Amino acid sequence: MMGEKRKKSFVDVVLGSNSMTLFVIWVIVILVFSVMNANYHTLQNTTNIFYSATTVGLMAIGETFLIIAGHMDLSISALAAMNGVIVALLIQAGIPWPAALLIGLAIGAAVGVVNSALANVFNIQPFIATLAVSQICEGVGYILSDGRPIPIRDRAFISLGTYKIGGIVPIPVLILLAFFIFCGVILKKTTFGRKIYIIGGNREAAHLAGIDPKKISTVLYILSSLIGALAGGILAARMHTGQPTACAGADLDAITAAILGGVALSGGKGDMLGCFIGLMIIQCFNTGLSVIGVSSFWQSVAKGLLLIMALILDYVRMKRMEQ
Amino acid sequence: MEHELLLKNISKSFSGVQALKDITFQAKSGEIVALLGENGAGKSTLLKIMSGVYFQDAGEIYLDGQQMHFTSPLDAIRSGINIIYQERQLVYDLTVMENVYMENIPAKNGFVDYKNANARTQALIDMFGLPFKATDKVSSLNVAHQQMVEIIKAVRRKCPVIAFDEPTAPLTDSEIEGLYKIIRKLREEGKIILYVSHRLQELFDLTDRVVVMKDGVHVTTVHTSEVTSQDLVRYMVGRDLGDIYDRLDRCTKIGETLLEVKNLNNKWLKDVSFSLHEGEVLGFAGLIGAGRTETMRAIFGVDKLDSGQILIGGREVSIRSPKEAMKYGIGLCPEDRKHQGLVLGMNVRENISMSVLPSVVKNHFLNRQLEEELADKVIKQFSIKTPTSGKVVKELSGGNQQKVILGRWISTNPKILILDEPTKGIDVGAKAEIYQTVHDLAKAGIGVIFISSELTEVINVCENIVVMYEGRITAQLNREKDHVAEETVLSAAMDHLNK
Repeated sequence: MMGEKRKKSFVDVVLGSNSMTLFVIWVIVILVFSVMNANYHTLQNTTNIFYSATTVGLMAIGETFLIIAGHMDLSISALAAMNGVIVALLIQAGIPWPAALLIGLAIGAAVGVVNSALANVFNIQPFIATLAVSQICEGVGYILSDGRPIPIRDRAFISLGTYKIGGIVPIPVLILLAFFIFCGVILKKTTFGRKIYIIGGNREAAHLAGIDPKKISTVLYILSSLIGALAGGILAARMHTGQPTACAGADLDAITAAILGGVALSGGKGDMLGCFIGLMIIQCFNTGLSVIGVSSFWQSVAKGLLLIMALILDYVRMKRMEQ
Repeated sequence: MEHELLLKNISKSFSGVQALKDITFQAKSGEIVALLGENGAGKSTLLKIMSGVYFQDAGEIYLDGQQMHFTSPLDAIRSGINIIYQERQLVYDLTVMENVYMENIPAKNGFVDYKNANARTQALIDMFGLPFKATDKVSSLNVAHQQMVEIIKAVRRKCPVIAFDEPTAPLTDSEIEGLYKIIRKLREEGKIILYVSHRLQELFDLTDRVVVMKDGVHVTTVHTSEVTSQDLVRYMVGRDLGDIYDRLDRCTKIGETLLEVKNLNNKWLKDVSFSLHEGEVLGFAGLIGAGRTETMRAIFGVDKLDSGQILIGGREVSIRSPKEAMKYGIGLCPEDRKHQGLVLGMNVRENISMSVLPSVVKNHFLNRQLEEELADKVIKQFSIKTPTSGKVVKELSGGNQQKVILGRWISTNPKILILDEPTKGIDVGAKAEIYQTVHDLAKAGIGVIFISSELTEVINVCENIVVMYEGRITAQLNREKDHVAEETVLSAAMDHLNK
């Protein structure tokens, strides 16, 4: 047995690790659509894929942190929409856009504190607590805007969502990539990141080992809300309006991307790379479907099927590992 | 009716590792047969094959001369083999009756026939002389009674074979007596009883024969009355351990006071006062729920105190969280390894570094090399059996898991180390190593608090012993001076006896 190297089959490599499996799926998706339509792998289209992924992508970062820590945040998209409305209203009232954005972020942070308090102080399940907060944010968005889109005319603010560096890379894409790298490093390389895995893996053991699960999750709730508020601001800039209906359901899409990327709902497992690839698979698939002319209604079906497939692959991999 | 169980040449391997090899033994009605072996000897695998969880690679199981083919646990139960596992197989929010009739609730026209089912369950409860009701919620029963519910379930299923996997692990000594009575009653009724335990004394108290296993092989089968515990240990570990307690290289030099607690009071504690010194191994004996764990949780900042003082090095301190306790040099290995001690999905390295993360940071980032060095040091110091520090801790044996937690706390350089049931469910060899480690730590000047529900262990390992009963300290004894006997400790642990 010793010293004898078994040649690894292609299947072994593909199923070797979660990121590898996902990466292969991603490549397959790209190849299939490229064969079906020559425009698919153009630079323009690639940028579009990233661009359309920014809102969900930013939210997926927050969700990945929280889900690994054994929590969850269903209030992000409602918060983002509410925040878009608030920023638009503030700009309309003549407040300079950086100040408006900062106020929006501060409100976001406050929502994060509320989420954390509900989950950590009152021991309400994160799913329920953030669902309630989500309803409140959604309602406030409608009340403030009276249900109508609030137009934004500040060119500088709009360019935050639309300006393309070198005419190619939109600022939101840059922000998204920067966040993924930054948060990926935090998660994998810092003691804070390690503590996220520990509290998600076993909250009580973490507490008894001198780690404060409430402190860590509070930071994560605030971070997630800040990212959500930022995503809402950027989305408003992109659309030139603050809309109470913007990005409805984006947080569920974000959770889907994270889980597709190998983040376990039970906590303690997953990483930013997986989440990123999960996000990309969904986006490439969606864009691919529209490029080959399939109705956008099918995108939702595709997302569901992709998720089921990823979970089955995960199951198959676990079974192989047990043998 | 007489029954006979025969296992013939059972073999099973996992990923090329032989877990069981040619296991053959038989048992018949009215017999209690022990399965004995260290962790990893294959007892659990054997039980799982008998209960339809695993399927053997080779060999046959016969019950009353008929060959059994199990494809699921339900198959095994229907064929008459019922296993009572260490982890309770109960639904806590349902009643005793609903648990007892779990897979087979009596119904009339499609509706649950509560009257009939409750009456039948109550009859079984009364037959065993137990004090609870069929309509009680299982969550309202204590651990010992919950276990009885499992036994009643097995009896209700009319299984001729009932196997117990370490049934006494969560029980106190008086509860164990109750369990013995029930098991003996089952024997009289002609059941075949298989009994797995690490506690040798229990085998002598209870069993008729012992099947000894080692590394998946059946070493020997002996009549319990014809052997000594030394014999059993020798068969089990393949070498003569001698008397573990006699071989212990003890720390007897006691230094300055490290910790003093005065009149601790909270929901569970009443005026608890004691002190701990450098180099002292201080045992805490008592029944489960006597307040030993609760005392330590209060000191460690997990539970709040209503009143009382904690002095460390003579200075009064207020400890509000485990993190603060760590700052004062206190470490605590909790009683429930899997739920309170380890992050099971993480590897050995990550479980060790957990409490000392800042020490493996270089240039603001976690440093893999520093972390590996730390883990390797601990693995070597405690001879943890793991191929690498990257092994997921879930896959280690109980004894090695315990050493991982110990290693984690040693890495924090504690002055005071609290071990809550550190030897629960681990084999004799690993126990001996833990006893020695405890005394080695004491020699290095650490004050060690050693909580154990095994009286023999507390009496023989610890220099001083505190006995608790219902939240109070009822006795403080010295091993040498007081020639502590089990009876002395036991009577203090059951306070009403000496009133």
